[in-house]
Parts: sequence; C-alpha cells; structure tokens
Amino acid sequence: MTITNMSKSFPSGEGDFLALNKIDLVFGKGEFAGIVGPSGSGKTTLLNVIGSLDTPSSGEVDVLGYKVSQLSQNQSSELRSRHLGFIFQTYNLLPVYNVYENVEFPLLLLKLSGPERDKMVRDALEWVGLTDKLKSRPAQLSGGQCQRVAIARAMVKKPALVLADEPTANLDTENSLHILETMKSINSSLGTSFIFATHDDKVIKYLRRVIRLVDGEVVSDDLQTGA
Amino acid sequence: MIFKLALRNIVGNGWRSLINIFIIAAVLISLIWMEAMWYSWLVLARTEQKQWEFASGLLRSENYDPYDSFTWEKSYAPIPAEAVPHVASGDVVPILFAPGVIFPGGRQLSAMVKGIPAGQNVLKLPSSSLAGGERGPVPALIGTGMAKTTKLKAGDVFQLRLKDSAGAFRALELRVSEVMDCPVPSLDAGTVWVDLNALREARLLPDVATVLVLRDRSLQSISAPRYELITEKEFFADLNEMVMTKAVGQAFLFVLMIFLAMLAIYDTQALAIFKRRKEIGMLSALGMTKGQITRLFTLEGALYMLFACVVTLVMGFPLFWYFAVKGFSLPGDANFGMVGFDRPLLFVYPLPLILFTLVLMFILTAFVSWLPVRRIASLNVVESLKGGRNA
Repeated sequence: MTITNMSKSFPSGEGDFLALNKIDLVFGKGEFAGIVGPSGSGKTTLLNVIGSLDTPSSGEVDVLGYKVSQLSQNQSSELRSRHLGFIFQTYNLLPVYNVYENVEFPLLLLKLSGPERDKMVRDALEWVGLTDKLKSRPAQLSGGQCQRVAIARAMVKKPALVLADEPTANLDTENSLHILETMKSINSSLGTSFIFATHDDKVIKYLRRVIRLVDGEVVSDDLQTGA
Repeated sequence: MIFKLALRNIVGNGWRSLINIFIIAAVLISLIWMEAMWYSWLVLARTEQKQWEFASGLLRSENYDPYDSFTWEKSYAPIPAEAVPHVASGDVVPILFAPGVIFPGGRQLSAMVKGIPAGQNVLKLPSSSLAGGERGPVPALIGTGMAKTTKLKAGDVFQLRLKDSAGAFRALELRVSEVMDCPVPSLDAGTVWVDLNALREARLLPDVATVLVLRDRSLQSISAPRYELITEKEFFADLNEMVMTKAVGQAFLFVLMIFLAMLAIYDTQALAIFKRRKEIGMLSALGMTKGQITRLFTLEGALYMLFACVVTLVMGFPLFWYFAVKGFSLPGDANFGMVGFDRPLLFVYPLPLILFTLVLMFILTAFVSWLPVRRIASLNVVESLKGGRNA
C-alpha cells in the first residue's frame, strides 16, 4: 500500500481545515503498524482514507492496487468487502444480530455458500475464543467480548489489511492485552496486515512499526524491536 | 442476501416490528371489511331488486313518471295485444298503480296502491295472499315498514279511498292478509298491494297496467306501443348513481386509511434512517453498496407488509367468517332507504378486489419505505459511523 503526497482538508468556517498534509508512506505485507499521536492529529482521518471510507483532497493512495481517489462508490464497497477489515473503538456491532450473525455478515456480502460461511465463522470465533457465545446479542456481552466479536468479524474473510481505530480505548488493561495478543497471533499466522490508529501505550508496545503524526504531518516513522 | 438480512432485521427489531405489522394488518382488515360490506350489499341489492321488482325487464306505461306524482293517476295504458297471451300464460305480470288515501286506525295517510295478479310467480312478492276476498274486505299486502308506519298488523281492516277513471272517489275496505318481509324499501314504504282485478274493478279500468314485468329477456321484443322498455341498465341507473356517490365517500375513507398506514411506515422508516445511521455507516464500511443498503431498508418496509398480509389472514379470518355466516346488521331499524339494509347482510368477499387492495398496499408500502431511504445515498460514511447529526 502506497500513500503519495496525500493531503486531506475539510471545510471549516470560512476556509479549509488541513487534517493531513502531504503524507508519504509505504506499507508492506504483514505489517503490524500503528499511527500514533495526540487527539486531532489526523490518525482516524488517515485510517479512513486508507479504508476508502473517505477520499483524499490531493495526492494518491494506492491500496492493494485500488487508487482510492479514483474509485466509484461501488468500487470502494468492493475494496472494503473483499480486502479490508475494520475494527472500531465503539465496536459497531449490529445490535439486532447475534454473535454468529455479526461475524457471518461480511461473508454474506461475498455470497459464499452456507457451509463455507459456517466453517469460516466458527474458525474466526475460535481465534477470538468466543465459540460459546454464538447466540448472544451484543447487548449481552462485555466490552471486551464485543471487541473480540468485532475482531472476528474483521478477520473472518481473511482480509489483506485490517484497520483498527483505537480498538482498546473502551477496554480495561486485561481485555486490551488479550485483544492485542489475539491480533498479533492472527498477524503472525495468517500474514494479515494491521494498521492501528491509537494513542494507547499498551497498543504502541505491541507495534512493530510506529508512525507518529502531529498536526496532520508524519514526524517520525520507526521500527520497534522486541515488539 | 438482502432478503435474509431484511428478515433478520425485522425479527431482531422484536416488538417494534410487531407493532408495525399489527397496525398495517388492522388497516388491511378494515379495508377488506369495508370492501366486502359494500360489495356484498351491491350484490344483494341487485339480486333482491331483480327478484322482487324487475325480473328480466319492465315495460312501463309512457304516462308513468316515477318522479312526478301528478302523473300517477293517469299512469296506465292498455295491455298491448302482443302481450295478452303472455299475460294469460303468466310470463308477463301486469301491475297497476293508483294513488290513494288509507285510513288505518282513524288516521289518514297517502299511499300508492298497486294491483298485482294474486297468482303470479315471476316476482318474489308473496302475492298469493291476495287471493280471495270476493266477499268481504279486499286482501291487502303490506311490508314491515308500512306496517310499522300505519301500526297495522295481519288481520286488521282499514279503509282505502281512491279515484276511479271517471274521477269519482271510491272507497274500499281492505284487510291485511300478510305483512311481508320485503328487502326492497320502494316496494314497502307507503305501498299497499292488492289483487290486480280488485284494483281494476275499483278504478273502472279493465285490461290496463302501469308496468308489465317480463319473466324472460326474450319478451323484451314484444311490441308495446304505449309502453317503454326499461332495460336492466336503465332500471339500475339510480342504484349505480348512488353507488358512484357512495364510492366517492368510500374512496375517501379508503385513501385516508391507506394514508394513515403509509404514514406509520414512512415515519418508522424515517426514524430508522435517523436512529440507525451508525448501523448504515457500519454496513457501508463492511462493504455494502449504498444501493444494497437502500434495497435492504426498502425491502424491510415491504416485508412488514408481507407479514401484515399473513397476520391479516390469521387475525381477520374469524372476523371475516363471522360476517359471512352471521352477517352484519345496522344498529336499530335503520335501513337508510337502501335495499336489504333492514336485515343482516351476509358478506361476500370479492377475491379480485381483495387482491387488488393487497397488491396496491404492497406497492405503496414499498414506495413509502423507499422514500425516506433515498437519503442513504447522500449519507457520509464517516459521519454515519460517528452517528453524527450531519451523517
């Protein structure tokens, strides 16, 4: 994935607010990287552009061969449904679906057969240790369990890239560490790339690559040893 | 896939879905009930009027104008020569009208006296009770409405005064031979039926009639110079006109009920778009296209209608069955001057009309569900995910 001279601005009052300024980044396969920085530094905006939820104002973002700025709405949807997984701070599970159905949802979009879906859902729930909660609704789960469902949902189709926006912000230390371990293990075993947007030190400790963002600009891009 | 998801959403919405479905089902039941009542009454009105009054056609004296009471005294014409053998065989029933005054219980009331052959069997009118009376009072037949108005009952004797053809007043003593339960108000209200010969004799008018009722359509071709043929279309013109008038009122009620149901669906959908914008953002993030999301929400609305149809059949069946078997009665003695309204109306359910209603409701529901859902296309995914106001 390549980001070249990418800027993103939003209309604000009389002028424009520059959220990201001339970002240049390259991500390889199997990354476990984090975009870190204080609130308002542009982490989520960068993640949204990478995930084709938003478009850059200028520059180019190439995700798995898809040029984000040139994608139609349907092409963006295809990129997200086939190749990307999302994990959000607030889980964003579908409240009327149970755990199984939430995890199954991305597979329905891929029009996989019933038995195929069933196996993949059960595998994904096995990875996150929730095979005993298949029929539970999100409202019946703890925050940590909800986030594990969200991880299973992001991982179930074995995407090339998972984008996680503050995935531990609503979790206690124990749950945070459990989730990070889960993601790291998936990253190692399946080779899925993870890009986090975070300012949580617990997460940062796990990252192999830390990209620091301040006021919409990349101020450092370092590899961490021992992560 | 969209269908499966829509189904899941409806099931997942629990009691909210149930309320929606029951509201739509209640509207559907009301609409079907209204349609069935109206349709059943029309069928009944046509059938009864044909059986009691029209048979297969009428030849009406050209002197008779039902809307001009000043013509009634002279509203007769000789039986056409070509009709005479048919009258003799009983296939043509001559009826003579004569305005008169009756004196039941010392009161004085205007009445239309109608003479009909006692032995006729073309019309359902129980004219056989008019036979006899050669000695003593002339047998008279009145309807239940007339009996109530005049406070007469079977066996009562009362006086009738009318004019003969020379303009002289004649008086007859009548005895109520039967109070008939007649579903056609125009044959009951203000009407006294007597034997045709008795009336002709009293009026000094042999071999005349006001109307000739035909047993078969083939008799419509009889040459009747001083009569005009009243076809079925002309005979039911008044009824059809009334149907049209009532249909406008009914259509208004129909539209109003559908409008209320659609408003409920629109409101539910509009609220759903507002409340579920975070979910919409998530669906989009997971890879659903906006077209798919729009279809999902539209289908949800349409499925409410589908379930409502099922609930309508299950819930409505006992009600529909009850009105088909036991019938529907207007409160009190009200009949509003309409045929058959004085007795329980047994419902008939017109399948094409019911199907039309269901299909119309289904299409409208899908359309109304789609209207607010169009907004999804303009939603910003990032703002939706935040559940923000601008989403």
